[in-house]
Amino acid sequence: MANPRGRERRILRLLSVPMALLALSCVYPVYFAVNNALKTNRNYIMDRFGLVTDLTFDNFVQAWTRSNLDTYFVNSVLVTGGAVLLLLLVSSLAGFALALLRFPARRLVFVVILASLMIPVQVVLVPFYQTIIGLGLLNTRIGLILSYTAFFLPFSVYLMTAFYAGLPRELMEAARIDGARLLQVWWFVMLPMGRPALITLGILNTLYCWNDVLISLLVLQDKRTMMVGIAALRGEYTTNVPLLAAGIVLAAAPIVVLYLVFQRQIVAGIATGAVKG
Amino acid sequence: MTTTAQPQRRRRRTGSRAERRFALLFLLPAVALVLTFRIVPLLWGFGLSLTDATGLQQGQFIGLGNYAEMAGDPNFRAAMRNTVILLLTLPVWVLLPMILASLIHLGVPGGRLYRSVYFFPAVLSSVIVGSIFNVVLRYDGALNALLGFAGLPAIDWLGSGSTALLSLLTVQLWATFGMSLLIFLAGLSTLSSEMIEAARLDGARLWQVWGYVILPAMRPIIEFVAVVTTIGVLTNMFGLIYVLTAGGPGTATTLPEFLIWLEQGQMGRPGYAAALSMVLFALMAGIAWIQIRIMSRNAGL
Repeated sequence: MANPRGRERRILRLLSVPMALLALSCVYPVYFAVNNALKTNRNYIMDRFGLVTDLTFDNFVQAWTRSNLDTYFVNSVLVTGGAVLLLLLVSSLAGFALALLRFPARRLVFVVILASLMIPVQVVLVPFYQTIIGLGLLNTRIGLILSYTAFFLPFSVYLMTAFYAGLPRELMEAARIDGARLLQVWWFVMLPMGRPALITLGILNTLYCWNDVLISLLVLQDKRTMMVGIAALRGEYTTNVPLLAAGIVLAAAPIVVLYLVFQRQIVAGIATGAVKG
Repeated sequence: MTTTAQPQRRRRRTGSRAERRFALLFLLPAVALVLTFRIVPLLWGFGLSLTDATGLQQGQFIGLGNYAEMAGDPNFRAAMRNTVILLLTLPVWVLLPMILASLIHLGVPGGRLYRSVYFFPAVLSSVIVGSIFNVVLRYDGALNALLGFAGLPAIDWLGSGSTALLSLLTVQLWATFGMSLLIFLAGLSTLSSEMIEAARLDGARLWQVWGYVILPAMRPIIEFVAVVTTIGVLTNMFGLIYVLTAGGPGTATTLPEFLIWLEQGQMGRPGYAAALSMVLFALMAGIAWIQIRIMSRNAGL
């Protein structure tokens, strides 16, 4: 950017060394998890740091079947998928209305939705839990889907509103002259037009839902999602690190794939949230 | 012309009847979810905080009894003390990513690679980060083995009251600095490169450019990162505490959000937990107030 010169370039090069070490620490979890997951427990105890010498896939088999990670994984996929889909539909509808339709108390609704950012789940832990029980949603996946949607919604509504506000209102009026009803305008015009923002939100919300532990602990107590399963695995098998490592690999794999494929969208999404938020 | 423009403008503000009706219909799911799971529970929680409810029992109205109890509750005091200690380290949480972002922006070799790698821990669940560091930091863990190779004595990083909070803080910092770094880089990218180039043409050194051009322009972002970090410390550490230290040893790593969870679940005291929640809400509201002030001041500049 600023074209460093001679001595400055040398100093920057020197500073790059600690930065590289920090970068190594950031990829260390991958080495830790993958390398240890492939070791037998004996191999791990004999040599914790070295590369695997006694290669085995038993840990994955055991974590997947005997530690029930298979059902937890399915739970996480269903809940995350359902919640992300619902988040996209609900926030796109709301964003469309808030950005392009005219109605009384528009600002008030927008402010109320955004103000709920100040109410994280910890602030309403007890009444939220009792609401879940009261609605008969305890230990149901639909209960967790609705909870995730409620708690991750404000940022999504904000982003969709900002995105749609940038579209010309003429676009909507042109669509309406064609005789389309508003619901059709949303489905056939707004959803396709909103694709860039919806993709960003889809990725970010997948991260949030998949990684959550607190809401899942409260709502899905006897079924468990992947992260609650890993936390339990950590507590049960303190001496079997390879088994835990295998569980970690299985739990993190979808997120690592997402990170590798959609890095640019994740970075852009967080940056917009920051600069505008 | 003027006569036809009048009703048209009014329609633009309030919309046609169909438009109003559809707008409310479109907003219904979002508003219903936020009301059901957040806003109504907030009001209900305030009511609960004035009762001595235990288990799923309704409990009696006891006024501010729960709040009075907090004053003498050693667990609550520990949670507040730990929060204050964490917040005192705020400059580190802001400075580390700021300096790293500046170096990347100034063209440190390998900067692009660092940017994407630093961000990696931030996408991992706190459960995964916590599980890994639980293995690394426990007494017979990898870090002490490394210290052993270097001839240094082992330290009980997670089990001793003097180092547990430091360990928790360091792991959380390591796991989230990439996020703040991205925010700083996004802010830096909006700086005009002309200003930097002009300063360079005037013979300014790289460090002078940083001190006199970049740093002052970054003030709003510094404030933003400080606010986001504070909110994170208050509401985003449950998962890490849950798997890394479980709040211990004793109450050494108990933060308000973890105490709320303990009182609600383990202790079966929803009334008291609700009162703790109200204190957390007051803290959140205070930060939001500061944030709004900062934002409106920046917008007013």
